[in-house]
Amino acid sequence: MEKIRSIIIDDEAPARDIIKHYLNELDYIEVIAECADGFTGLKSISSMKPDLVFLDIQMPRLTGIEMLEVLTEKPEIIFSTAYDQFAIRAFELNAVDYLLKPFPKRRFLEAVKKAADKIRSGTGKNEPANQLLAKRPDLASPVNRIVVRKGNAINLIPVDQVHYVEAQDDYVMIYHSGGKALKQQTMKFYEENLPKTDFVRIHRSYIVKVAQLNRIEPYGKDNYVAILQSGDKLPVSRSGYKHLKEELNF
Amino acid sequence: MKHPVLANRVRLIVWWLIWLFITIGQLLLYYYAYGKFTTTAIPDGIISLAIYSGIGLSLWYPFRYFNSTSSSAPAVITNLILSGAVAVTLWVLINKYLVLLILPKVNDYQAYWQATFPYRIGTGVFIYGLIVLAYYLFVSLYNLSEKNAREAKLESLVKETELKMLRSQINPHFLFNSLNSVSSLTITDPEKARDMVIKLSEFMRYALSKKDEQPVSLRSELENLRLYLDIEKVRFGDRLSTEENIDEECFEIKMPVMILQPLYENAIKHGVYESTESVRITTKARITDGHVEIIISNNYDIAPSSRRGTGTGLLNVARRLELFYGKKASIKTAKENGTFTVTLYVPKDYL
Repeated sequence: MEKIRSIIIDDEAPARDIIKHYLNELDYIEVIAECADGFTGLKSISSMKPDLVFLDIQMPRLTGIEMLEVLTEKPEIIFSTAYDQFAIRAFELNAVDYLLKPFPKRRFLEAVKKAADKIRSGTGKNEPANQLLAKRPDLASPVNRIVVRKGNAINLIPVDQVHYVEAQDDYVMIYHSGGKALKQQTMKFYEENLPKTDFVRIHRSYIVKVAQLNRIEPYGKDNYVAILQSGDKLPVSRSGYKHLKEELNF
Repeated sequence: MKHPVLANRVRLIVWWLIWLFITIGQLLLYYYAYGKFTTTAIPDGIISLAIYSGIGLSLWYPFRYFNSTSSSAPAVITNLILSGAVAVTLWVLINKYLVLLILPKVNDYQAYWQATFPYRIGTGVFIYGLIVLAYYLFVSLYNLSEKNAREAKLESLVKETELKMLRSQINPHFLFNSLNSVSSLTITDPEKARDMVIKLSEFMRYALSKKDEQPVSLRSELENLRLYLDIEKVRFGDRLSTEENIDEECFEIKMPVMILQPLYENAIKHGVYESTESVRITTKARITDGHVEIIISNNYDIAPSSRRGTGTGLLNVARRLELFYGKKASIKTAKENGTFTVTLYVPKDYL
């Protein structure tokens, strides 16, 4: 039988070592690469197309979560992290399992077996990130950057540069000072994870940065339209108008 | 509440002295008025004041009782008037019969009694008023000091809890990731694993054992931080390096325990966590006009981080400094050319 090809992505060498050591005992699995940051990890996954990835979350340049958000073809993922508040997000991202550091060998082998079974049976592979993504904010502090993919390039958009976010079916379009970018994510996620003092949801399909607002004008009966610094016009729903009123105290 | 006079020997002596002075004053007044000490007025005066000093002491009990039970002003006033009337009546009657009992042969006491009766009542009411006033003063002062003591106690309690809370922030990420390193090292390098467990234990012991009220020297703070940074170096390898530049006279400066810890944690979190390049944490300390200036700086990756910092680490340090030193200490931060610097000014003399 062909060996399962795996990559270990963790920025701490001892953490990679223990996974490697545990895997040494399994003859049906091989480690084809080790990466110490999210960016290199993403490149390795794209070029080497492994079956299984052991993924840390907190890493330089790109977190494990952000990596998965921009991966189009996902291998099976086993998260290994010391941060248990990420656990729910990990499952939402279709991880096979997550391991809390430090983990016992028994627990590790269990996770690997689960992954191996899934890979062998060929089920559940390459599923798109599901709608549960934004079920709940995973951290108390708001996001500071949005990672998007443009062709083969990965861009980090600082939240400071975001003007507004527009819903587009399963995606969102992010309008920022450098242009616009499409990303698979939900409005709910951004409503909850963008800094609440800076952004307001003005419509089912729009979240806007307060500082980008130029003026708000009535539009037909009961309706309003927000005009941005850039001149863009966005509809304001009734509840959106209420949010704005609360936020801006008018 | 105890009796304000009887419960305290000094106050009791003062109480009798006051009455002694009143009696002497009264005698001198008689002498001045009559030109001689009369055989009627003097014993009568002494006896009457002696009786009143006793009644005055016992007045405390009804006074305290009324004060603690009835709350409305009319009720208190009625009670005061009634007890006053009883006290004055008792006083004049006891006075009269005691004088007659002790000195049955006093000249013409009946006539003297009748002539002085209105003055006796007046004096009785006046002294009664003074005693009540004194008791009121005592009670309100007592309540005030009681309240102050309670507030001071509460405040120190709140402060203590707050300090404990601000301190008890050993980062769980640090702890669990370090333990994971230990788990790994037991396989690859048991010697190093043991070394790490010992360092971790020493670090935890320091963090947990020290009391907030007892300041520690910069030397022991730095020793503990070296343990912390050594542990982090095992996790991050070449990605973390450190440098110290401490003036000799700074080492014995006293400061609150674990006050620098959150600043290094920040350097790790925002520096090492976010960067693939090596991060160097530099610590400098020197004395400048009565203060020790501690400067901690680190380089960092200028690309935006994944999540925003909450700023709680720095806020906690600032809050602790304020609780310890009042306005005498300060903290400031600066970001420049990819280097983050935090500067601490702490008074040279702790107390």
